[in-house]
Amino acid sequence: MFDLLREACRTADLAGCQFADARYLEIRRQRVSSRDHALSGCSESDDRGFGVRVLYRGAWGFASSPGSDAAEITRVVELAMRIARVSALAARIGGVQWAAEEALQKRFLSPCEIDPFEVALEEKAELLLSANAVMLKNDSVKRAQGYLLFKRVRRWYVNTDGAELHSDVTSSEAVISAIAVGAHDFQERNWQAPSSSRGYESFSEAEFLHQAERVADQAEEKLSAKLAPEGVYDIVTDAENLALTIHESVGHATELDRVMGYEVSMAGGSFVTRDKLGQFRYGSDAVTLVADNTLDGGLATQGFDDDGVPGQRWNIVADGIFQAYSTGREFAHYAGEERSRGCSRADHWSSIPIVRIPNLFLQAGKAPLDPAELMSDVRRGIYFEGMDSFSIDQWRLNFQFGGNAVWEIKNGKKAGMLKAALYQSQTPDFWNACDATCDERYWSAHGVMNCGKGDPMQVAQMTHGAAPTRFRNIRICRGRD
Amino acid sequence: MDRKQAQSLLDEILEMPHPGELQVALQGVNRLGTRFNDCAISQNALRKQVNLTLVARLEQKRTSLVINTPDDRDAIRQGIDRLFATCAHMPDDEEVMPVPGQQLDSPEHAYSAESEDLEIETIGAWAAKACETGVAAGVDLAGLLSLGKIFSAYGDSAGGFAFERSHQCDFHVTATGADGSGWAENQGVTIRQPEVLAATRRAIDKCLSAQRPEVFQPRPTTVVLEPQAVGDLLSSAFWYGFDQRAADEGRSAFSDFDKRLGRLSLYSDPADPVNPSNSFNGDGQALARVLWLDRGELQQLRTSRFWAGHKELNPKPSPNNLILDGDGHSLEELIAGTEDGVLVTRFWYIRSTDAKTLSFTGMTRDGTYRIENGEITRPLVDMRWNESALRVLENVVASGKPVATGEYLAMAMPALKVADFHFSSLSGR
Repeated sequence: MFDLLREACRTADLAGCQFADARYLEIRRQRVSSRDHALSGCSESDDRGFGVRVLYRGAWGFASSPGSDAAEITRVVELAMRIARVSALAARIGGVQWAAEEALQKRFLSPCEIDPFEVALEEKAELLLSANAVMLKNDSVKRAQGYLLFKRVRRWYVNTDGAELHSDVTSSEAVISAIAVGAHDFQERNWQAPSSSRGYESFSEAEFLHQAERVADQAEEKLSAKLAPEGVYDIVTDAENLALTIHESVGHATELDRVMGYEVSMAGGSFVTRDKLGQFRYGSDAVTLVADNTLDGGLATQGFDDDGVPGQRWNIVADGIFQAYSTGREFAHYAGEERSRGCSRADHWSSIPIVRIPNLFLQAGKAPLDPAELMSDVRRGIYFEGMDSFSIDQWRLNFQFGGNAVWEIKNGKKAGMLKAALYQSQTPDFWNACDATCDERYWSAHGVMNCGKGDPMQVAQMTHGAAPTRFRNIRICRGRD
Repeated sequence: MDRKQAQSLLDEILEMPHPGELQVALQGVNRLGTRFNDCAISQNALRKQVNLTLVARLEQKRTSLVINTPDDRDAIRQGIDRLFATCAHMPDDEEVMPVPGQQLDSPEHAYSAESEDLEIETIGAWAAKACETGVAAGVDLAGLLSLGKIFSAYGDSAGGFAFERSHQCDFHVTATGADGSGWAENQGVTIRQPEVLAATRRAIDKCLSAQRPEVFQPRPTTVVLEPQAVGDLLSSAFWYGFDQRAADEGRSAFSDFDKRLGRLSLYSDPADPVNPSNSFNGDGQALARVLWLDRGELQQLRTSRFWAGHKELNPKPSPNNLILDGDGHSLEELIAGTEDGVLVTRFWYIRSTDAKTLSFTGMTRDGTYRIENGEITRPLVDMRWNESALRVLENVVASGKPVATGEYLAMAMPALKVADFHFSSLSGR
């Protein structure tokens, strides 16, 4: 495969391109889904093709094809050149500033002890259907469902710098959920297995069965829960709930392409303007947010990005102060940096790489602190667990998030369950209200599998981690009158 | 691929040896897209894909496989073998239905010969011209001009066949100034340069009038929602709520529902003149005109073939478009008839907050203005809202004429004047 991609880059180079790269991808997916006592689907896909990106006279051209013979490579390179000439009709003043990068020849293989594509369908069916059976034992549960999703992406990458890179990444995802139905209401509770770039070893039947029972019981409990109060409360979030808040209010906000207006017509911009670099108080002293595209099993850990830049680790926020953006090679110079942070990823061989959120986590507290101690200092509060309703404005400031299960906290202890609870805040206000996070014993990682960005939209995956964390004086509102 | 080529390929695949029933769907997309920001082209791409979906049905078992190499007959044969082999390992599912086996007409309501002839040079030149307009106006322009040339084909082992070509054109543009922005779009099966430039001008004008926004303390108020905002909210409501089985099983806002939802009609129609669509789906089912709401009265909900058989109803597959009729008022008339309210250009990031009441949250964006005594008086800081889509339909006071919109679903939506719309908080910017 490298030979064909080399030929694409050589052709582009001869045609006078400043830079060109070529990616060939093989993408395999399998989704097995269940509904009550039946497998409702087993769908697979095999998808392969290549994309060629050329930088010509300061403007980009991109073309792609599912073919892979030499004639098709030549045709696609010529098409990409033709498109670049069109782009030059309205090229950016000064052209694209492309950061230099060492040309590497490397291979990356994600950890995968048990190949999910080799696991028998019967075993997958048993995992899902046994969990459903447990959930349906609860009389209030009228619908039990779940799915397993496996993906393998094999990637070959060559550029005109001389880089030749190959990666082979397998990821696994699973969700089960119970819907409880009462006389005048229905409520859903789910459990998402921590998604990761790992194989089938990520899942255990014992864990599925344990979670199924918990999920069913809590779905039933949600039915009779009282409506959330409105007002100002201290809140405690579990790691999974905070993972999505980190994603939306920090991950997207610190993508430099957004800051520079490249996404303004769809995904939006960002309030984290460049004048804030190195001095803006993003959060309290308790807040250190670390980007790490070398995180073992992280969904954004791919060895190198689609600009040919290796995965890296850096602080986005340290002790509350904003430190650095996520960048690709086109954007590093906007932050005054010579090198990309390696965050440029495309979701398909026919997609153009864009800056994506890295694996990003809230560093665990340094002092020993367990969740009971964290909650003990809350007299009047709300505890949010799991991901649910989430919405944020196009500047990544005003957000409103729910939880898949929510409890009242009274005098330092979890009290009754609440329904339709939402917390609403502005990003810097929220992170500055953080006064404690549990220590590393309680830290866990969670996957975001459907991060939409770009226009046309691309879907990416990344991992976020946290320990249970406390925020003071946050506005609580209700999603139901 | 034309009809003859598609039929020939599908026939060849369906004749490959297999037990049970086989469905084959073929979709080809040739998408040109020119993306720009800061009045310069930032991405420019041609994406060409053909996906072949094979669905195997063996007794009460069903599996599917998508491959993107329809010319590779060996891969197709192996795929068919793999699917039926997988079926042998599946437990029975009583909801698996036989293949439809329908020969369908190909009206091609969404086909445009004019769009078929458009090339990347033309699209790029129009985008470049829009960028020039932004430079002249002193605003930053960002947006996408895209054209999809699509064909869809379907065949099954019971003799079913369908083929259609269609086009999707979309131009959306955001103009941004120092502290405010404006947005406009133009959608349809074709697009011409004057429409691109007119939308650009609308976005620029909105942007210029959106500078120095003022705070409107969030509270329930009358709103005039432009078509994108209406479409964004109603498409969310439709996918979350309009399902017959969920309603019958107590899992929907429409379980035991007997309210009238205002007085507008909501329907789907592949032949809609404003935003037409394909007339069949990937399961080989014809998509006819369906009335979901008739002057506010709920008529029917999406109903799968299985559930229709179970409940002795007519199947109502998920539609390819959604249309809300209106009173035909102009946007200016809706504004002029509003004594005290807010004009919303566009919604953003709509998410469900409560499925039982079909409630959602979202933000205003790219042009929010105060209306006082029938006139737009000043731009406003964007606001979050928390509102039930059902209540929005109940509270419609007046409405406009449907125009093409929709991010993921072709829609034709009028502007709506809605009473008592619940704004809840301010954007921090």
